[in-house]
Amino acid sequence: MHPEPPLIGQAVPRKEGRDKVTGRARYVDDLVFPGMMYGATVRSPVARGRIRAIHFDENIPWQEFTVVTAQDIPGENCVALILHDQPCLAAEIVNHPEEPVVLLGHPDKHLLEEARRAVRLETEPLPAVFTIEDSLAKKEIIWGEDNVFKSFLVEKGDVDSAWARAEIVVEGEYETGAQEQLYIEPNGMIAVANPDEGVTVWGSMQCPYYVHKALVPLFGLSKDKVRVIQAETGGGFGGKEEYPSMIAAHAALLAWKAGRPVKLIYDRAEDMAATTKRHPSRTRHRTGVTRDGKLVALEIDFVIDGGAYCTLSPVVLSRGTIHAAGPYECPNVRIRSRAVATNAPPHGAFRGFGAPQSVFALERHFDQVAKACGLAPDEFRRRNFVHAGGTLAVSQVIHENVDLPQLMERAFAESDYHAKRARFARENRDARVKKGIGFAAFLHGAGFTGSGEEYLASVVAVEATAEGRVRVLAASTEIGQGANTVFTQIAADTLGLDPELIDIAPPDTAAVPNSGPTVASRTTMIVGKLVESAALGLKQTLVSSGLPGERGGPEGRPCTSEEFQRACAEYIRKHGALRATCQYAPPPGIKWDDEKYQGDAYGAYAWAVYVAEVSVDTVTYEIRVDDFVAVQEVGKVIHPVLATGQIEGGVAQGIGYALYENVVWREGRMVNAQMTNYIMPTSADVPPIRVFFEENPYPFGPGGAKGIGELPMDGPAPAIVNAIEQATGASITRIPVTPEVLMEALEGVHA
Amino acid sequence: MNVFEYANPTTTKEAAGLLAAQWGEAEILAGGTDLLSLMKNYVATPKRVVSLRGIKELSGITSSASGLRIGAMVTLQELHDHKAVHDDYHSLAHAAGSVPSPQIRNLGTVGGDLCQRPRCWYFRNGFGLLAKDEKGQPLVPAGDNRYHAIFGHPGGSPGAYYVHPSSLAPALITFGARVKVAGPKGEREIPLASFFATPKREGERENVLMPNEIVTEIILAAASKGMLTATYEVRQKEALDWPLATASVALRMSGDKVKSARIVLGHVAPVPWPAHEAEKLLAGQTITEDSAAKAGEAAVRGAKALSGNKYKVQLARVAVKRALLEAAAHGKEGMQHG
Amino acid sequence: MSKRKLPTQKGLSRRAFLKTTGAAVSAGVVSGAAAELLNAQSTAKNKVAGPGEVPITLRVNGETHNLNVEPRVTLLDALRDRLDLTGAKKVCDRGTCGTCTVLVDGKAAYACSMLAIDAQGREILTIEGLAPEGELHPISAAFVENDAQQCGFCTPGFVMACKAYLDRNPNPTEAQAKKALGGNLCRCGTYIGVRAAVLDAAARMKGGR
Repeated sequence: MHPEPPLIGQAVPRKEGRDKVTGRARYVDDLVFPGMMYGATVRSPVARGRIRAIHFDENIPWQEFTVVTAQDIPGENCVALILHDQPCLAAEIVNHPEEPVVLLGHPDKHLLEEARRAVRLETEPLPAVFTIEDSLAKKEIIWGEDNVFKSFLVEKGDVDSAWARAEIVVEGEYETGAQEQLYIEPNGMIAVANPDEGVTVWGSMQCPYYVHKALVPLFGLSKDKVRVIQAETGGGFGGKEEYPSMIAAHAALLAWKAGRPVKLIYDRAEDMAATTKRHPSRTRHRTGVTRDGKLVALEIDFVIDGGAYCTLSPVVLSRGTIHAAGPYECPNVRIRSRAVATNAPPHGAFRGFGAPQSVFALERHFDQVAKACGLAPDEFRRRNFVHAGGTLAVSQVIHENVDLPQLMERAFAESDYHAKRARFARENRDARVKKGIGFAAFLHGAGFTGSGEEYLASVVAVEATAEGRVRVLAASTEIGQGANTVFTQIAADTLGLDPELIDIAPPDTAAVPNSGPTVASRTTMIVGKLVESAALGLKQTLVSSGLPGERGGPEGRPCTSEEFQRACAEYIRKHGALRATCQYAPPPGIKWDDEKYQGDAYGAYAWAVYVAEVSVDTVTYEIRVDDFVAVQEVGKVIHPVLATGQIEGGVAQGIGYALYENVVWREGRMVNAQMTNYIMPTSADVPPIRVFFEENPYPFGPGGAKGIGELPMDGPAPAIVNAIEQATGASITRIPVTPEVLMEALEGVHA
Repeated sequence: MNVFEYANPTTTKEAAGLLAAQWGEAEILAGGTDLLSLMKNYVATPKRVVSLRGIKELSGITSSASGLRIGAMVTLQELHDHKAVHDDYHSLAHAAGSVPSPQIRNLGTVGGDLCQRPRCWYFRNGFGLLAKDEKGQPLVPAGDNRYHAIFGHPGGSPGAYYVHPSSLAPALITFGARVKVAGPKGEREIPLASFFATPKREGERENVLMPNEIVTEIILAAASKGMLTATYEVRQKEALDWPLATASVALRMSGDKVKSARIVLGHVAPVPWPAHEAEKLLAGQTITEDSAAKAGEAAVRGAKALSGNKYKVQLARVAVKRALLEAAAHGKEGMQHG
Repeated sequence: MSKRKLPTQKGLSRRAFLKTTGAAVSAGVVSGAAAELLNAQSTAKNKVAGPGEVPITLRVNGETHNLNVEPRVTLLDALRDRLDLTGAKKVCDRGTCGTCTVLVDGKAAYACSMLAIDAQGREILTIEGLAPEGELHPISAAFVENDAQQCGFCTPGFVMACKAYLDRNPNPTEAQAKKALGGNLCRCGTYIGVRAAVLDAAARMKGGR
């Protein structure tokens, strides 16, 4: 029995749930092609250097191998993305450890690994830069003219003259570390490539059309000669946004040269060491307030470490910059931000995309500002929250009916915040294990920033078959977040059909239009809306040809599947095909100035207040999160269970970001690239996560929905560290709060 | 992983005969949780792997009046679940049960736990046990050493800085465990406390085994009546992770006074680290917050923190204190129930 | 708080096309000759095999498979590459993540940490053997209905670890459920759902619902 419409708002079955739980779902490493061989990557041993020679150990039967270097690239040697600065294979200079230089192919996995270890790169080292400070100080110029990939300046009001009106000025500096996405499925691709048929790749990815865009210039082929197909994908979190283009390119280059299919699957250690991570950041805050706690001036300097090549750093920086001033109204704001180069593997997309970094700094800082004003942290926030009609730092007028005080009250009621805060303050004095409760208030913009969505101009198609089945055609990928289920709900509701009749076409660039990348909390809100519009178009086509009645079926009731099938068959018999397409158009009134970085940065925001409760053993430096309450407003919730799962998952990753996940660097190389040394939360480390939604439908989202995926990554770290401060009095300014960081902070308190 | 010959002996004698006289030529495969990882990372590259799975004499736990005999191939889960271990060697059962995951407890063996290689990331990244750079300088003191030794290291000079990863050794040593070893010349028995060694040169190992010897069993003397024991672990995270520091204690009591104490720390030195000063201090004392804290202080006297692991000194101190208090608490429970 | 419960569903594989694209490689069930050879070897005085391929016999999901593997081939690789049982996944390949969990003689084990040749004589159960084709094991049903999966890559390992756990501990408490599957990692963060699924599956397996 299928659920009764409307399906939006209902917990319908996860579309691929059974295949996954039974192990039948096929991910890229589960696929086998006839005659296939395996690929491996030889990488740079140094952070920066000139390649002098490549030595091949004579104990390996090289004649059995396919060997690819930069010289074998038929087209342009780059991974096309924003700039074309990242080579697909380093030719003369390497700019980071683990940079790909040589590719090897062989049918025997074991021999291939031996061969990989038997290639030695002789390099002449060049001076390298490893920290944000050294990069800013131009200790060595390693990229462009000044090591800066991108900078932004956001100005609102007049900060310089506002300081005079500030009665209290609070300064602070905050740091966040790199974070590995650690999607459970390692990266991988299979390629079939030859000059006759062109290039086809299958693999684990978020953005088939990004891969497509990268392969076209690399091979110098026409677009129709390149085909990219997503296999079932075991998590991405941003980690499979841009790097899969590199792996697809490598697999395809090997296949092109070898003339047979090539499977290239990363080993976990290789995946951790060589692929992207969340950008490390440093944020400086200077905040002016009146004695009664009203914001007068906010000055923020936000810097992220982009690694050796530009990749997505400009857009990560953009989102981080816009979110740096949070959901608050301040008349005078200056945000200066820069993404700088270091000789580490390029940092990249990871859920939140710059926002978790700048939100951590802001929400930690505002607890300090509140203290300086003699206000409770919540009271300080309450006095400065943005309201409908107010403006954010980029001067975007908020038209949504946002009610942050209500979200905060709800979060406090559910977590018993006030009573606990008072009780902990009382009981902590004599306790060895001290307890604390803290919160963070934040927003997260859904969809691409500024004019990004207009530029993307995404397209979705919906078609029906003569059998009465409906297919949604989009390049948006299912990566565990539930896109296929949500699209099904939207299409089924729009057409008044049983969800069993809806199919989601596998993302394949030869078969689906470009609905844009699966990133930026845009899939439900932006692409889902296109699905709704296309489905509506399909229905109108049928209605206007006089087939079913107004509500789908006769007499104002939704049509039955039999009626729909008859109508489809009839239409297709007459007209050949039944298909509707919809392209993105911005909601009315959206304006963005890319030069001044002012205007409607996002069509809509999700709003949230998260509360964390912690225990801190002040003697062993063990920190446990005991309870977590996440209250958010994300428009209309399309699927309550999937949405809850998104929040729970983001919070779990946020707990790891705050407490455990520490990338240890040695000259630009991650030295703890093992799952034993880079530790993420297990079931035993995750507290009850209690998720609550306040619904406030957004008129331009499908069924009223806004984006949700990244939001839960932003709040946990500051909420947890704020709670640690209540517990211990230690004002910690960097994450992760590992035992040694906590010890140092506690010594500061006792000294 | 390199290719290797696989040997499947059915007796320890056979097994010893299949091992080589040089380290690195052949490796012993017990549970596989460590060796296969080392081989996949080319840290171990044996030409032959000798599996102990087919040797019946290495399995099983036998309890007798003289004590307990634990076969080297007994899994951590079997050890944890064994009634005599649970009843009489509480701290050992706890240590076995605290190993990160059910899967590792099912695969990992007692012998393997004692002979597993250090988790030190320099070692695992191929820099060797003594983790030196090209010029022979030690990498650990100048590098990231947050998980490294606070005892028993050469304080900046070349030498061993890793910590011994055994979960069971601290508890076993507090019980005065002996380890039986079989080699081509027959069997010998070594006190477990003397089994571990700190290598001076690269190529030496972390224990006194000869390359062709096998740990066959662990022998525990009969548990003395009223002995109080506990193992306390400090962890950053609750599962799938090694502890940062552990302490195992065993107290022989006379009424509510300690007659004699054994205290051994884990994960703080290249060998399980006995806290002799703390042991002496406790003789004749009752276990109170105060005496336990003093023992903790005594246990870390002489600790030498590296640049990034000062916090471990504190953790070791606390682990000792808490293990003592826990052991004392078991004593009280016992009296109430008994 | 939102209720987190989903109905089960009979689904179609949207990846069906891929399955047909890739020719599945599977080792045939060879006759007894190879097995006899192995037996002969194991009674030989010098019990050394390899380093080349060696005939071995594995018992997987109730069936006997004879195949030739080098001694270095892990149980995980044998299952995936030779028997086309790809439900157990390769993630860390170092015994730290749990995605390759199978049952060996009824106990949860990391298939990446065991040599195939060493797994002879043992009963191996993989996710594929948990329930007959087309049916859902109560644990699997509990995982689907509690949405204890997102990307699904860790899920077969979780289900197998859960099976081993419940076989030993049929009545877990909530606190026990939290720690029960400590040998498995999920990055999507489905732990809340997994805990609910453990308790739900326990109830189902007792016929409680």
